Amino acid sequence: MRKITNNTDYPGFLLSCEESLLLDSGKSINKFQIAYQTYGELNSNKDNAILICHALTGDQFPAEESPITKKNGWWDLMVGPNKPIDTNKYFVICSNVLGGCVGTTGPNDINPETSKIYGLDFPTITIRDMVKVQKILIDELEIAKLRSVIGGSMGAMQVLQWAATFPEFVKSIVCIAGSLKHSAQNIAFDEAGRQSIMLDPKWNQGRYLEFDQKPENGLSVARMIAHITYLSEKAFQNKFGRNLQEKKDLSFGFGIDFQVESYLRYQGRSFVDRFDANSYLYMTRAMDYFDVSEEIKNNQKRIIENEIRFLVLSFTSDWLFPTKESREIVSLLNSIGSNVSFAEVVSDRGHDSFLLDEPKFFRVCEGFLKGIK
Amino acid sequence: MRNDYKIILDLIPENSKVLDIGCSDGDLISLLADKNISAQGVEINQEKVISCLGRGLDVIHGDINLIVEDFPYNQFDYCILTQTIQAVQKPDVLLNTLKKVSKNIIVGFNNSGRLSKVMQFLLSGSFDSLLKKSDSDQWYNTDYIHPCSIKDFKKLSLDLNFKIISTYDVINTAQFTDGKIPSNLFCKEVLFHLKNVQ
Repeated sequence: MRKITNNTDYPGFLLSCEESLLLDSGKSINKFQIAYQTYGELNSNKDNAILICHALTGDQFPAEESPITKKNGWWDLMVGPNKPIDTNKYFVICSNVLGGCVGTTGPNDINPETSKIYGLDFPTITIRDMVKVQKILIDELEIAKLRSVIGGSMGAMQVLQWAATFPEFVKSIVCIAGSLKHSAQNIAFDEAGRQSIMLDPKWNQGRYLEFDQKPENGLSVARMIAHITYLSEKAFQNKFGRNLQEKKDLSFGFGIDFQVESYLRYQGRSFVDRFDANSYLYMTRAMDYFDVSEEIKNNQKRIIENEIRFLVLSFTSDWLFPTKESREIVSLLNSIGSNVSFAEVVSDRGHDSFLLDEPKFFRVCEGFLKGIK
Repeated sequence: MRNDYKIILDLIPENSKVLDIGCSDGDLISLLADKNISAQGVEINQEKVISCLGRGLDVIHGDINLIVEDFPYNQFDYCILTQTIQAVQKPDVLLNTLKKVSKNIIVGFNNSGRLSKVMQFLLSGSFDSLLKKSDSDQWYNTDYIHPCSIKDFKKLSLDLNFKIISTYDVINTAQFTDGKIPSNLFCKEVLFHLKNVQ
């Protein structure tokens, strides 16, 4: 049984499903909910819907003011009235991913089997599992074909998964700063982040909520490590250089001397307020496990028959998901004879460029979407 | 509309699948799309790629020599190179690779063997006249690293075992068939329609 209600915890909606969902791990969850938000109006033909897939630390609130941070939504520059993803034209859907911590079922929800918080009893999830859940939402909204599925970073993984698993349901794909599979270096960074969380004594084998505490230090350090990978050497240099933080001389100690240290600590601290440590473990694991190449090859016929148009974008200074990896996506899509466009956008702001004010990037996305009929 | 574009639009049948190599701002792709021809571009210049994509055209940013390797056999009906072949590192290698991915190849270029060019070179004693793409180009910074004549290109086509279906004097939009080609001395701009006959 499926039911859509208003979300009482956050703005937006909640799709509650009482059914068994078989996951890639072989395990199932028997009851789950999907928290989502929409912007714009679905037209009568139901052919103007765009699904936005969020990145690791994103949520279902790309546009307008975020109820979580009280600041602009994470993609407010991209999504809204008269913006590149124009909500005057398109019906934009964004849902919190499976395993997330902003309303969709994840490790901190109650396990209906035990009536206790899942914690590490929550099954390991994959990007495909996340996408399967999104597909259930799209079915419930009675949308037969999405105009586009768009996402950056972990969102880019989801959009490629959409093309591979549900090619009949998408007209176009916008894959930003992504890859066909998580690289060894990226798995390494994820592992460092996870170890940081799991070695925090407050983590308590993932049962921290039962003890009414959170592994704040561990999650904060995980965020600091990850945040370094989202920027570029030049971005750090331009922003901070070797400038000292509110002092004239070095302290000859281990407090905050440099502005960049202060910045990183702030990033870590503020992240703890809005994100959950176990979700971080589950979602980084899902990214590690991601490798969609074979599934794309195996579904070549379906992808070609549905004439999906692909737009692949990368940024010059992104070293987390470098251009080389986007080129591998393009190469694979070309090899199966699909319709693909690609551009490498010049930006010195690293992986996070896709969230920032990059006019050329916006122009490309807007132009591409206009061309999808 | 550019004369070479007119010829190409007449030449390519509706519903064909086309690859435009060195597609620049995408003007030709856009014209082809109007005629119901699905065209994909390849362009190395980032600004031009952005401009194509901003217009909703399909284009791949990068080096054609690397990209073309990815396409499956006979993926395209036509492959177009207008004012591009002179800028390619190894025209013979590229044409050979294109054979695998496209049934037809259309190559348009300015004839560097024409009398006026040769005279210009003789009188100035400078290669700039032969290698110029734009006014700011000099022999050392030009993209036109392989200027060629109609004779040169005909020889290359035959050496690579292409069949020359027809050739065109672009300025006069005149078609030449049965092995005839525009005058090497007087034709300014030429278009070759090649077919892989292997």
